[in-house]
Amino acid sequence: MIKRVTAWIDYALALAVLLGAWWFATGPMAMPTYLLPSPARTWNALAGIAMSGELWLHLGFTMQNIVLGLIFGLVAGIALAYVMTRFPKLAIWLDGPLVILQTAPKIALAPLFVVWFGFGILSKIILIFSLVFFPVFIGAVAGFRTLDPKMKDLSKLLGLGNIQRFRQIELPSAMPEIFVGLKIGAVQALVGAVLAEWMAGKLGLGYLMTFAGATYKTPLLFAAVLLTAVLGLLMHVVLTLLENRLLSWKGAKR
Amino acid sequence: MAQSERMIDIAGVHKTFVADHGTVTALEPVTITIKEGEFISIVGPSGCGKSTLLRLISGLDHASGGTITLDTAGRKRPVGFVFQEPVLLPWKTVLENVRFPLDTAGVSRAEADRTALDLIKMVGLAGFEKALPRQLSGGMRQRAAIARSLSDDPPILLMDEPFSAVDLLTRDTLNDELLRIWQSTGKTILLVTHSVEEAAYLADRVMVMTARPGKLKCVHDVDLARPRGEETKLDMAYHALVAQLRRDLRTSGGSDEGTH
Repeated sequence: MIKRVTAWIDYALALAVLLGAWWFATGPMAMPTYLLPSPARTWNALAGIAMSGELWLHLGFTMQNIVLGLIFGLVAGIALAYVMTRFPKLAIWLDGPLVILQTAPKIALAPLFVVWFGFGILSKIILIFSLVFFPVFIGAVAGFRTLDPKMKDLSKLLGLGNIQRFRQIELPSAMPEIFVGLKIGAVQALVGAVLAEWMAGKLGLGYLMTFAGATYKTPLLFAAVLLTAVLGLLMHVVLTLLENRLLSWKGAKR
Repeated sequence: MAQSERMIDIAGVHKTFVADHGTVTALEPVTITIKEGEFISIVGPSGCGKSTLLRLISGLDHASGGTITLDTAGRKRPVGFVFQEPVLLPWKTVLENVRFPLDTAGVSRAEADRTALDLIKMVGLAGFEKALPRQLSGGMRQRAAIARSLSDDPPILLMDEPFSAVDLLTRDTLNDELLRIWQSTGKTILLVTHSVEEAAYLADRVMVMTARPGKLKCVHDVDLARPRGEETKLDMAYHALVAQLRRDLRTSGGSDEGTH
């Protein structure tokens, strides 16, 4: 408990120093606003779009895409990994294509996704999905493959059906590795979401950035960048909480 | 204990594996009848097929030939199995682990809880219902595993070197507890072990197996009074049997001096 409090104090102090340096650069050092807007101006820009409701539209859009991409990527990654460990023949067949897809830089495919799937939400979710899928898939394969063979004996002795075995034994025991993949995927998802919005559409934090940049609204650009950072932090916190809850049985983590 | 009914009928059961260089005989034909409520120890060196025999009886593996008949009246889960390691689900508490066979069989929560709590008490884990496996010692985990194997009340309990991973003192205690559990439940128990002392101390009959190829060498009746305890270990008959088992294991395969 005391440890946690001191950790928070440390965080707050670091943040305060950063904020102080920022204020110093814009105030006493008089950096021009188009290069570095002051904290107050940035705050005003943020408050402005928050009041007008525009902010929530953009933020909501980005978050919705990330959440959908994460869910689809998670489910598909686990599903394919499971099918491949159950049917090793399939794994041999799919190995080559998967390696090619995995090593291809998904960011470079982003324009192609726009061509294929349009300017709307579909191409964005597909980009995020492609970024989330592989880390989850690789984690899940590792998780399913390291299953204790004695656990298989146990499920056979108890006569568990396929669904029972998956839900009660295989999925929970692969969960630690799946989570490693998911956490990597979540960072990628944010990158993918912002990038997709840079390229096309009129919504999202990424769009807000390109709009602010193109119209020299540096305080707004700053606000959007900071929001993205906060969003990333938020996702990290949510996933860590979820991990602590789901994997508390592993014990001795932090 | 009524020891009239045949519980396990093993007739000419053998097992061969296909390896890289031809087939390997894991178990030469075994024939034996085990009565209801009997406690059988199976003793032998590594590679004698004792674990294989247990896996065949449990249905985990299939025999290459011969038949195994269990008098368990078409039960879905005729045997409980205790492995060398506890094989508990690490994300479930002791209570949830013990209840697991009942939960997956669709038994109501209230009934499953009642059964599981009784078993937890019987194996001496009362107070640890909510503990996770990692919070328990090796011996306690194995107790939980025994409770789980008994939770859906199988007539047969198969134990594959259940206490080989715990220290000797704990092992002695667990052996006594196992005898107590056996006496109060009337299960038919087959226990595989490396230890001739353990085999003689626990069983009604000891099956001696030898390696390469794995085969049943002989079966000894154990005529030691029950209930057994510390005084059993002072009994001359006990020491004679232990010595005989040692000799059986030392003189390799070949000879066919079936004492029984």
